[in-house]
Amino acid sequence: MATEALHGGGGIADHIHPEPQGFIRKYVFSIDHKIIGIQYMITAGIFLILGGMLAELIRVQLMKANGGFMTPDTYNEVYSIHGSTMVWLVIIPMLTGGFGNFVFPLQIGARDVAFPWLNMLSFWIFPVAGLMVYASFLMGAPSAGWTEYPPMSLQGQAGTSMWAAAIFLVGVSSTLTGINFLVTILKMRAPGMTFTRMPLFVWGQFATAPLLMIATTALGAALAALFMQREFGVAFFDPTKGGSPLLWQHLFWFYSHPAVYIMILPAFGILSEVIPTFARKPIFGYKMIAFSSCAIAILGFMVWAHHMFTSGMAPALQLPFMVLTMTIAVPTGVKIFSWMTTLFGGVLRFTTAMLFSVGFVALFTLGGITGVWLAAVPFDLHAHGTYFIVAHFHYVLVGGSLMGIFAGLFFWFPKMTGRYLNETWGKVSFWLFFIGMNGTFLPMHVNGLGGQPRRTATYDPQFQGLNQIESIASFIMTAAILIIIINIIVSIRNGKRSGHNPWNARTLEWQIASPPPYYNFKHIPTVFHAPYDFSEPLPYRGLEHELEGTVYENESLQPAGVH
Amino acid sequence: MAVATIPHSPFAHDDPEVDLLYSETRELRVQGFLLFMVSDLVLFSSFIFAYLYLRSSGQGWPPPGGPKLDLALASINSVILFGSGATMHFALENWKHSKFMKFAGWMVATIVLGSLFLSGQVIEYAKLAVGWGDSGIFGAGFYTLTGMHGFHVFCGVIYLTVLLLQATHGTYTFKKYTGLTLGTLYWHFVDVIWVVLFSIFYLL
Amino acid sequence: MQQHKDPPVRLGSDFWIVTAVIVVLAILSIVYWAYAPIDSWMHEAVDRAAQIDLLFRFLAGTGFALAFAVLGYILYFSLKYRRRPDQDDEAIGLQIHDNHKLELWWTVIPTIFVIVLGFISVKLFLEIEPVNAAGGTHVVEALGHQWYYTFRYPGIHGEVKEMHLQVDQPVTLHVTAYDVIHSFWVPDMRLKADMVPGLVNTLVFTPKRTGRYNLVCTEFCGTFHGEMRSGTKQDAAYVYIDTPEQYQAWYSAQQRANANVSDAVAVASAGAVNLTGGDAAAGKTLFTQKCSACHAIGPFDQKIVGPGLKGVLHDPAHPSLVNGDKATPDAVAKILQNGFNGPMGTMPNQTANQLTDKDIANLVAFLDSLK
Ligand code: HEA
Ligand code: HEA
Ligand code: HEC
Ligand code: CUA
Ligand SMILES: [Cu+2]
Repeated sequence: MATEALHGGGGIADHIHPEPQGFIRKYVFSIDHKIIGIQYMITAGIFLILGGMLAELIRVQLMKANGGFMTPDTYNEVYSIHGSTMVWLVIIPMLTGGFGNFVFPLQIGARDVAFPWLNMLSFWIFPVAGLMVYASFLMGAPSAGWTEYPPMSLQGQAGTSMWAAAIFLVGVSSTLTGINFLVTILKMRAPGMTFTRMPLFVWGQFATAPLLMIATTALGAALAALFMQREFGVAFFDPTKGGSPLLWQHLFWFYSHPAVYIMILPAFGILSEVIPTFARKPIFGYKMIAFSSCAIAILGFMVWAHHMFTSGMAPALQLPFMVLTMTIAVPTGVKIFSWMTTLFGGVLRFTTAMLFSVGFVALFTLGGITGVWLAAVPFDLHAHGTYFIVAHFHYVLVGGSLMGIFAGLFFWFPKMTGRYLNETWGKVSFWLFFIGMNGTFLPMHVNGLGGQPRRTATYDPQFQGLNQIESIASFIMTAAILIIIINIIVSIRNGKRSGHNPWNARTLEWQIASPPPYYNFKHIPTVFHAPYDFSEPLPYRGLEHELEGTVYENESLQPAGVH
Repeated sequence: MAVATIPHSPFAHDDPEVDLLYSETRELRVQGFLLFMVSDLVLFSSFIFAYLYLRSSGQGWPPPGGPKLDLALASINSVILFGSGATMHFALENWKHSKFMKFAGWMVATIVLGSLFLSGQVIEYAKLAVGWGDSGIFGAGFYTLTGMHGFHVFCGVIYLTVLLLQATHGTYTFKKYTGLTLGTLYWHFVDVIWVVLFSIFYLL
Repeated sequence: MQQHKDPPVRLGSDFWIVTAVIVVLAILSIVYWAYAPIDSWMHEAVDRAAQIDLLFRFLAGTGFALAFAVLGYILYFSLKYRRRPDQDDEAIGLQIHDNHKLELWWTVIPTIFVIVLGFISVKLFLEIEPVNAAGGTHVVEALGHQWYYTFRYPGIHGEVKEMHLQVDQPVTLHVTAYDVIHSFWVPDMRLKADMVPGLVNTLVFTPKRTGRYNLVCTEFCGTFHGEMRSGTKQDAAYVYIDTPEQYQAWYSAQQRANANVSDAVAVASAGAVNLTGGDAAAGKTLFTQKCSACHAIGPFDQKIVGPGLKGVLHDPAHPSLVNGDKATPDAVAKILQNGFNGPMGTMPNQTANQLTDKDIANLVAFLDSLK
């Protein structure tokens, strides 16, 4: 078969460059997918702190109904940059560039991605673009939200154009990453790793890559058009010149709805690795989980206008968008139910990673259910533009994507560093996060339906009580994240040593040393079966020498154990 | 016969057999390039959507104050561009058959035709005599899309020139020429985009 | 090599107890939401509010039920199957891979649910969407500004700062904006429409409950977007649903107060234009020369600078002109003669458009011929 042929002697899998020497070549301008992955994570982590601090500024302002902490103009800049940061500089780079880069080439038994130099380019565009987003504060940051609807964004300050250019660059980076990952997954799997033997995290990336590649380009077009309109007066969106404000909404959401699946499919992939590992059970319904990721990715392209139900689209167009949006509940439900059933009959180890994963299933489901409500146009007529929307998407983004990131962090940290994150503090941070998250976002449903609009620096005093609860709970969430950050910093040097496979996991990345050597595999293994059968021997051949010469040489190959 | 076509050109003497590393790398690069073109296509499609959306917004086309387009000039220009697609095809075929001089000739023809197309485009812009930012949705639709396409042709002309120089300096052999394949793909892509643009601007 | 048959699965009695509890909770939530006193939390001020709340009762009932099911089983499995201290390090779970029957069920049931929900929502949607709703008799226009609302009523000159509606009289509400996108939302009506400059959106409903209601802008519109709601310094506009007597009193008071407010830009020629003998064909040529830059020959909401003019005299959904006058040839002639400065912009007057009285007659004849 094709994959077999690809890995005969002398092919690309055996084409090994010498390991680069020197700090700069090794850690700064590295072409090693593992280093690039970690670079992505650190950069995105810094932006998480920045974006989170902006979120806390929002919550401080909203402690009182008539605000007073910031001027309305500042507030508008703050939440716009908060949303932009979290979406484009935290969640997307973390899940694709970060976890994607580090984990999936190892999982398919490759020595690197298809185009390592391109990978380095993708990465280096990202911090530059991030700095541009924050530099826009200096010239007057964009203030019309992360969606920047014209004509409002045409009135925006100079930084709005800077923002458009920066997000365009992030888009270029994403597109290149998507191309790179897709080719890698299609062409560079180890011999014997057929599509139905791929780990589910790889499936997650495989379903995401086309979204990165196609949807992001449409966003690029929209941003370029906004830039041209603002800087050269080209009549795309300005109604007084014949343009159409709705055109922007179509172009923007054609990207941004698939983008929400870019932010969740890889996180689904993380869950599909963590849950079976700690249940010591094969993932339930492997094929349906893999298939549903693809179904979600495809359906995701056909529902964008559900963000525009009140905008004034032709009613005949609203109906198909409404119905198609609702159908996404079906493949997503398949995943939720499969994870639930994977818990059934397991021997569950509640490590921090597992806690975050199970918490994810619960909270994402709540966010998904409110999503289906919003898909019903008559209900959306009431809920659109209110805090109910804010509640919906924080449940899927914070309860889903961000918790998925934390699960992945606790799970793969030993692989990246050879050390555990502290589990006790990990559990403390999980519980604080879980409580803080629900305390922050649950009351927003009530306020939203009761009449509190989003994107406002001040609000009707009748909502003040619940808003204060939200703010206080959000400080708890901040404490949780702070603990995680400290945990990382301390554990990098002083964490307990983990050995190569602390969780007794079965995918390929766990069968080699931690951290993995420069070229990952001394010998490319052959794969015989999907990885999740805990009652069977590992389905790989050719890994016998992987641990030779490492610190683990004398350790038994048995895991250190999770107790 | 096959042996007889091995070139005696000074440029590509050593032509080792294609090895696995080469063929796998070629596969990756071609596939990556195809995907790149898919996303480029999405970029064009988005602007085409924008143009059609604005065009159908009730102002008519060309919109009030917008100029009439010159179908004759554009047709000549199109023939030139399609011609360059053909010459590019001949160039690659000749390379595959190890005929260096013919390859170079067709390449030069392609580059010249591409430049002619660009000149035609400039003439058309000059004749229209309205600006990009002050002609309402006409500028947004016509100038943006043809400008983007023109930019692609411009890059293509430079790209092909570089490929020709590389070929002259022996970067490629008659068996290993992935770069030339990619260049050809790119040029055909630019051609196909023009078919679409021509139809929606001049025929619709 | 590893394709053994999955081991058999036995569900213990506790599984069924948990299932029973979940079923009870699910039924309770459906029943609760079926009877929840939504009206006492938030008035159902118009007929649409009650209709939309009915959909909400369905969504909330089933949504809570589903949430109980998913959260309930997760909690139960997590407690029941957590690794006990007496289980050794190597203990593995039940090695089951899939179960086609189960997977079929959890695909089919949500599908059925989605079909039912889709059916309900589509039906309700068709009832409340203006296209398919019987046209209201009372036409009101609401206009968004940075950062307040104004309203226009047929027969009242200029714009007023408050919205009054008459209970039980159907309303057709057109909304648009002067500057950027705003939104018209009255939470007690459960209805919302974005006010997009250059586009007219429409809501159709019947007020059912008298009272004063808050009006809230939900599309970001600049610095004081947050203050663009009833009762702030920026914006004092409320929506009132009045009894017929109250409404009449208010209406005549406004009419009087605004009697001398002019809708016109500047009067070019006094005296009404004589419209007899207008030539539609000549008008058509003139229209393409002088008017098509700003007007499409399309429906009212197909805007360029001014509104679409197809059926300006014959559109039942738009019985009055932008200046509030009833759509008659004479009224249109008045607009052409005097121009009009409205929310969409400025319609030039006769002098600015360089029209003779004869031209106006021809144009009106042409507009009258568009149906
Ligand atoms: C993508 C993910 C994402 C994430 C993770 C978050 C996280 C949070 N978000 Fe946000 N949010 C969005 C995406 C996200 N948000 C988007 C897209 C919008 C819409 C914007 C728009 O309308 O245009 C939005 C809008 C939004 C609003 C509405 C604003 C408005 O409409 O007026 C609010 C209000 O409470 C809010 C709050 C929060 C809070 C409290 C968190 C918390 O989870 C944050 C948790 C805290 C931290 C992450 C900080 C942690 C660490 C530190 C503080 C450490 C400091 C320490 C050192 C320096 C050592 N968000
Ligand atoms: C990770 C990101 C993410 C994800 C995964 C989703 C998932 C979904 N979203 Fe959400 N959404 C956002 C992020 C996300 N969303 C953001 C950021 C916004 C606001 C943007 C802005 O305006 O700033 C938004 C806004 C938004 C709107 C627009 C609201 C408005 O502005 O008026 C709508 C409307 O249809 C919607 C719907 C949905 C639906 C139907 C899903 C579905 O995919 C959910 C499917 C999941 C489930 C349903 C749960 C599990 C399923 C089962 C247990 C099976 C059985 C269930 C049923 C049969 C119901 N979302
Ligand atoms: C500079 C742009 C412009 C030009 C030119 C123009 N109009 Fe208008 N017209 C408008 C605007 C703007 C309005 C709406 C005013 C408002 O409500 O704010 C309008 C309103 C109207 C209306 C009322 C429509 C309604 O539904 O109530 C009629 C009728 C009309 N124009 C006819 C014409 C005719 C006939 C011509 C050609 C002689 C013409 N206009 C030229 C801008 C223009
Ligand atoms: Cu007007 Cu927000
Ligand atoms: Cu969406």
